[in-house]
Amino acid sequence: MAEAAASMSGDALRREALSRDASGPSGTKPRHVLSRRNIFLYGTLIVVALYYLLPLYVMIVTSLKGMPEIRLGNIFSPPLEITFEPWIKAWSQACTGLNCDGLSRGFWNSVRITVPSVLLSIAIASVNGYALANWRFKGADTFFIILIVGAFIPYQVMIYPIVIILREIGIYGTLTGLVIVHSIFGMPILTLLFRNYFTSMPEELFRAARVDGAGFWGIYLRIMLPMSLPIFVVAIILQVTGIWNDFLFGVVYTRPDTYPMTVQLNNIVNSVQGVKEYNVNMAATILTGLVPLIVYFVSGKLFVRGIAAGAVKG
Amino acid sequence: MAAAIANPSVSIQDLSLNFGVMSVLKTLNLDVAEGEFIVLLGPSGCGKSTLLNCIAGLLDISQGRIFIKGKNVTWEEPKDRGIGMVFQSYALYPQMTVEKNLSFGLRVAGVPKDEIAKRIARAAEILQIEPLLQRKPSALSGGQRQRVAIGRALVRDVDVFLFDEPLSNLDAKLRSELRVEIKLLHRRLQNTMIYVTHDQIEAMTLADRIAVMKGGVIQQLDAPQTIYNRPVNRFVAGFLGSPAMNFIKGHLEASDAPVFKADGVSVPLGRYQFDNESGRAAKPCVFGIRPEHIAFGEAARAMPFSAESSVEIVDPMGSDTLVWTKLGGQILSFRVEADKTLRNGDAIRIGFDPARASLFDAETDSRL
Repeated sequence: MAEAAASMSGDALRREALSRDASGPSGTKPRHVLSRRNIFLYGTLIVVALYYLLPLYVMIVTSLKGMPEIRLGNIFSPPLEITFEPWIKAWSQACTGLNCDGLSRGFWNSVRITVPSVLLSIAIASVNGYALANWRFKGADTFFIILIVGAFIPYQVMIYPIVIILREIGIYGTLTGLVIVHSIFGMPILTLLFRNYFTSMPEELFRAARVDGAGFWGIYLRIMLPMSLPIFVVAIILQVTGIWNDFLFGVVYTRPDTYPMTVQLNNIVNSVQGVKEYNVNMAATILTGLVPLIVYFVSGKLFVRGIAAGAVKG
Repeated sequence: MAAAIANPSVSIQDLSLNFGVMSVLKTLNLDVAEGEFIVLLGPSGCGKSTLLNCIAGLLDISQGRIFIKGKNVTWEEPKDRGIGMVFQSYALYPQMTVEKNLSFGLRVAGVPKDEIAKRIARAAEILQIEPLLQRKPSALSGGQRQRVAIGRALVRDVDVFLFDEPLSNLDAKLRSELRVEIKLLHRRLQNTMIYVTHDQIEAMTLADRIAVMKGGVIQQLDAPQTIYNRPVNRFVAGFLGSPAMNFIKGHLEASDAPVFKADGVSVPLGRYQFDNESGRAAKPCVFGIRPEHIAFGEAARAMPFSAESSVEIVDPMGSDTLVWTKLGGQILSFRVEADKTLRNGDAIRIGFDPARASLFDAETDSRL
């Protein structure tokens, strides 16, 4: 080595030295934690997050306070004495009209509305979407356009005609009626969702299944269904939150003893006689919003995957 | 065209397919003999895959009839046609194991369990996929997937295999390996196979007969060597062969000994076999000669036709070298062995035997 180095010209030596110099940039570029970009990015995110979380904080804090403490007026201060009394009252004692059994009645009504509506609408819409995507029957395009147009007609236009239809069939004011209404109104968007998802699946798969002898239902149940978990999750989330949060249909198509949770919540919060029990109202509101919230938290990842897989393309 | 086949395995009669106003297949006729390997070859959009899907029953045809094993299957469902199909994208059911993929069609058809097991064992043995049976398709390589896809057609015990560009998604090395395997499979099973590809090497190596398609019409249906050596028109001539056939524009001079003339060159066509006597009439035409049929140097002198020229460009391709030169003012390429050292501008002598050439009518593009 030494001999070789000695025989090198000065220029080559200098280059050799440069390439061995450890002080020059090498490897991963270092990142500064407090760079301008990071401060701006995280600053914005934190401010926005606080802005959205503040009302939730006020609600939780207020729901844990007693009425004397609320009257002091410090809505941001944490409770001095934590009490779960408002929650119990909201769930099982709050009065709406003649019933004084709290939100629990509405909760179970909502469950009885949401579960069958979600199952029914998704079952029908997924078959619709599958048929539209893979079995190009005569008039499929026209059918699809009509369905999409349906998604853009304001609900309010159809409220009264549907009241009459339900009355004529004899299911006005029943949960069955509301379940049917929810299923129908979920149809356009869900069918679109499923159609786009099934369209994005390779067509050769469908053809291979046909050569293998599977029919309409065989391909749907044994090939397509097992491959579409993400889009089913998306559909379930859309429907559960949509139907659970619905107020308009609930108040129009049911009677007081079959009111869904949202309608009952409104009646509790807006009751005019007596003292406004802010803590009970807050607890009742959180209880009502809890179901969609849990659905989101549990299925967040699948939801994002499903949206990315199906809803964008088309 | 070959003589009528007595008992065709697949027979397509006057088949037409229209999508709206667009006509994709035009009164197409094709008879495939029992145990024959037919390749449908053509560029993208020529209708070859469409034709295959029609045979499979995956597309409803507009006119005509399709017979498989003498049975009119024109209105039959794919499963009742006695066909198995292999797709370009493999189309394996992703949620099922290899074994379940293979058995799906049999389970749908309600075949007894021990029969299913027997057929899967046989297919797995033929295709060497026994160790993969319990894996999901996502855990397989491209070549293994395509083998499973072939296996799925195999277990169904069908008369006719349909391949829709089965090797197009594989890399070059795997493609040639599987090509050989498909050929061996055909020899072992002796089934009728219809194979769609745009790859001329696959077509030349696999086919008993090739159907070259363009614009929904079969241009030529013949044995690979015939198609290669005696293409019926300029499209077929240009589509097969790599590097492509040279075309020289000129005109035919009619006499007892016809001569092709193009800007200072005259090629005697005494040895050229005309398709019919009327082809000898004087007219503008195109002279086609394949690069490998052109001799150079000393060998050129021995040829019935030879001419002086000079090297324009040299393209070394590894196994051999492609040399570009000019003849009659038009560009011409020919092949030489890789060890020949030629430089740009070198003066050379090239020659060929007009018997190996193809002559096309300049107007109709069909062979003279």
